Amino acid sequence: MASPGPQQLPPGWTAEWEPTHQRYLFIETATGQTSWEPPVVDPELAPSSSPAPAAHHAKRRQYAAGQTQAYYGAGDNLNGGGYGGAAAPPQPGQLFTPGLAAENQFQQQQQQQQQPMGGQPPYYGAAQEPEYINAPQQPMYGQPQAQMNNLADQFGQMNMGQKGHRLYTTNLLTSPPDPRELSQPPPEIVLPPNSCVSPSPFANADHTYQRCTVNAIPTTNSLLKKSNIPLGLVLTPYRSLKEGDEPVPLITDTVIARCRRCRTYINPYVQFIDGGNRWRCCMCSLSNEVPQLFDWDQVRNQPGDRWARPELNHGVVEFVAPTEYMVRPPQPAVYIFLIDVSHSAIQSGMVATATRTILENLDRIPDENGRTRVALIAFDTSLYFFSLPAGSTESSMLVVSDVEDVFLPKPTDLLVNLSEARASLESLLGRLGDMFQDNHIIGSALGPALQAGFQLMSSIGGKIIVLSASLPSVGVGALKNREDPKILGTSKESGLLQAASPFYKTFAIECSRAQVSVDMFLFSAGYQDVATLACLPHYTAGQTYFYPAFNARTEDAIKFAHEFGSVLAQPIMLEAVMRVRASKNLRMSSFHGNFFVRSTDLLAMPAVPQDLSYAIEVQIEDTITAPFVVFQTAILHTTCYGERRIRVVTTAFPTTSNLSEVFASADQVAIATLLANKAVERCITHKLEDARDALFNKAVEILQAYKASMTAAGAGASAQLAISENLKMLPVLVLGLLKNVGIRQSAQIPPDLRAYAQALLTSLPAQLLMPYTYPNFYSLHNMPPECGTVGEHGVIMPPPLPLTSERLERHGLYMIEDGQTMFLWVGRDAVPQLVVDVFNLPSYEVLRGGKTTLPILDNPFNQRINAIIQKTREMRRGPYWPHLYIVKEDGEPALRLWALSCLIQDRSDVLPSYQQFISQLKDKVNGGNY
Amino acid sequence: MTGAGWLFLFSVLVAAGLLFTMVFFIIMFSDLECDYINPIDLCNKLNQFVLPEHIVHAFLTLCFLLSGQWIAFIINAPLLAYNANKIRLGNHMYDATEIFRTLPNHKKESFIKLGFYLLSFFYYLYRMILALIAEGE
Repeated sequence: MASPGPQQLPPGWTAEWEPTHQRYLFIETATGQTSWEPPVVDPELAPSSSPAPAAHHAKRRQYAAGQTQAYYGAGDNLNGGGYGGAAAPPQPGQLFTPGLAAENQFQQQQQQQQQPMGGQPPYYGAAQEPEYINAPQQPMYGQPQAQMNNLADQFGQMNMGQKGHRLYTTNLLTSPPDPRELSQPPPEIVLPPNSCVSPSPFANADHTYQRCTVNAIPTTNSLLKKSNIPLGLVLTPYRSLKEGDEPVPLITDTVIARCRRCRTYINPYVQFIDGGNRWRCCMCSLSNEVPQLFDWDQVRNQPGDRWARPELNHGVVEFVAPTEYMVRPPQPAVYIFLIDVSHSAIQSGMVATATRTILENLDRIPDENGRTRVALIAFDTSLYFFSLPAGSTESSMLVVSDVEDVFLPKPTDLLVNLSEARASLESLLGRLGDMFQDNHIIGSALGPALQAGFQLMSSIGGKIIVLSASLPSVGVGALKNREDPKILGTSKESGLLQAASPFYKTFAIECSRAQVSVDMFLFSAGYQDVATLACLPHYTAGQTYFYPAFNARTEDAIKFAHEFGSVLAQPIMLEAVMRVRASKNLRMSSFHGNFFVRSTDLLAMPAVPQDLSYAIEVQIEDTITAPFVVFQTAILHTTCYGERRIRVVTTAFPTTSNLSEVFASADQVAIATLLANKAVERCITHKLEDARDALFNKAVEILQAYKASMTAAGAGASAQLAISENLKMLPVLVLGLLKNVGIRQSAQIPPDLRAYAQALLTSLPAQLLMPYTYPNFYSLHNMPPECGTVGEHGVIMPPPLPLTSERLERHGLYMIEDGQTMFLWVGRDAVPQLVVDVFNLPSYEVLRGGKTTLPILDNPFNQRINAIIQKTREMRRGPYWPHLYIVKEDGEPALRLWALSCLIQDRSDVLPSYQQFISQLKDKVNGGNY
Repeated sequence: MTGAGWLFLFSVLVAAGLLFTMVFFIIMFSDLECDYINPIDLCNKLNQFVLPEHIVHAFLTLCFLLSGQWIAFIINAPLLAYNANKIRLGNHMYDATEIFRTLPNHKKESFIKLGFYLLSFFYYLYRMILALIAEGE
């Protein structure tokens, strides 16, 4: 696609590169309006619109410069007054008063904003239905332009004075979901002027770290109730850094300014008072003293610039913590591998793949200062310990067959320093598969193995990585096969998703206390009770990975090796506690995700892996009077390199007493993430039906609230189903959740798959969760010629299609991917040349469905498709490496149905199509008020 | 003193004991809310008292049944059934991993039980006095 660069844009628009869709997203800076199509330059309106956004930017920069000058008493005007005197030049030597400089400038900007509104009638003008309150006297379609301008003015006045959120109503019945909307950034956070001491664009944490379901917080609980939108935070505090991401600034001088009362860390939203000697906390308004060394540059030993300090300019920062934040010296990272060597594990090739992967990744395990320690315990119905003396290549095996009362056979040399015992470890890993080659023992003493691992590391803490291919059957934590096809799809099914044995919960608590985290890699071909085993990672802040019916002779080996390798290589936070603080009258009411809640608001996480998401529900306790509120997440942790640090993520949101703004600023992705978490919790504590009903009812409630308060239809019946433009995808996301393996109504889903899907739903960050609920669907046979080639920002992806099989043509080649699996759908009338080009096979008949790796051939089409597959595997965060399945249109029915179940806008079994779902919603929305 | 007198004297003492157990539970729950105690210690402590409380209450109810105190038995039967059902479902113990989510319910339950024991305490006292008066006549 010939994407116009930012230079060709009309003034007032900026282009932002959207990596997921490989195209520019065009944003009008003044209104926050976004579009995928490049905006058209309107010669008449362009000049008048140009100053608005410029002033918008200038204001913030100028203001901060003024503040700096005021503070230091410097006189010269830094910004050169390039904006027509829109802002009063800062008064030298005088203390900065918030609100002075930017006020009249803002009004100007306001007036200017209203004009360009008329400039883009096609965007919202046509979508307006006469019924909505927003446009009471709206003329019928096809009225002249002048009318539209009037209308735009009305909009401008309705816009509550200053805030940037405008409400655009759309009708769900006439506007089908556009897959590209999901990757748009959430509605902009428009803070009141002067709320931030820094001009930096990073003053608010990026939405990938922390996002809220509404970007304008309602001031009262009743207003929130009226909107029916759940209020919550979605966090990924330990997000990985991809290429091009801003690294988290580190503050090394251990000057940590915190509020005396509420313990909030200093952030860009505090206010400096009293000549800069004190600061006022943005959460509890207590005035605190600025620490003496705050303005001192300790590296150069000279006075430093306060305004350059990262904690006043960045929403995400890391402090190096002094000794007051330690209960013990920083621990080394510890990894203990528990490897199942029973017959089934050996036969599937799991042991061989795992040992090879560990061997290959020994260099990638974080061990910068040579402190990392490792241990290896193999288990079937006995435990096999390995003694790895430092400096030798020998290792000896110690067998403990008494699994009732686990003891360590040797006090030393079991848990060894990685770099010292490297040689013996390498030789052991090379031999381990052969040692148990002829092991015919069936059964697994997972519980005792866990206890042994725990005993080894309990004084230090760290990570236990379990690789298990069978149902635990011996010793504590033995589980019974409770899979019963008869109760699948009935109300008793949720029992299968609850923990069967209390051991995995009580042991998890013990682990959490001793700072031990557990990761589970499960491989069983039969029932393994993932629901119970997943409890352990869930409460110890680990993660579960499941490879059903693992077979190392297929692509499974590549997938597992890749994911296991990334887990080993990723840096982890150890001994972490997380706390979220918020402004007065906001309270964190419940927590979802992988951790143990240690006190009302303290989350204990023995080890924090990267790219795990947590959701927190927030309650408004009393009327909020402040113009903006701040949420601050702080994680006190030890890095795997032995440094105690505090990561602080701060986001400020404006408050509003206006319902339309609550709707206009709602973030559909965050809402869907929060709903997914709540639904999974409900599945476990109640029944699956309850969870589905709750999801559906939430969608109905939101639509009802919108209809009752934002459209002219009010409580009466309406032919439309109205929702604001920014919530347009919410119904389809809810539908996607209802059709997700973890929640879907079906009597065919094995409980293991369900439990794993639920574990994913509660831990995936939004970037992975969105494709998981609303997969991507591309047509490959007729994609534009530039797709699959390397563009300015990497491989260009084809445009996504709506998820309906109407788009499937008999001669086509399609890709459906949900971030966990990829399907290459081949139509039955596929042109032979296409089959030759892509698969190097003579005809469609010879092609076989199933897991595969695409051959790399010497033709451009094959290379483009390979590039797209590669890109799909790499473009998201997290360790996941999706499998590629070839699905033939007339091939194996199970595989075909699986692929088609990703097309969530279609009807399948009892589950409605998108159209049906929307009309169900509409009936409910209209019916509920009679 | 006759059998009924002794029985109700015993039940007054038991009800007082149960009353104090509930007060203890409620104090512990509010300690948890104020962060004076961590959920693991709390559950370990409270779980020691859960079964004894149920057993003592069941024993008292059984005494009423055997001695033919029908009204007292009927008053206690619903709580007995409720406790038995919880034990049957296996969720009578406090779970440290879930405690914060279920805390409001636990508190409500403890308050209701507290009220129940308080009322039954006075009822038993009344019946005891009644029995003593009947004996005196």
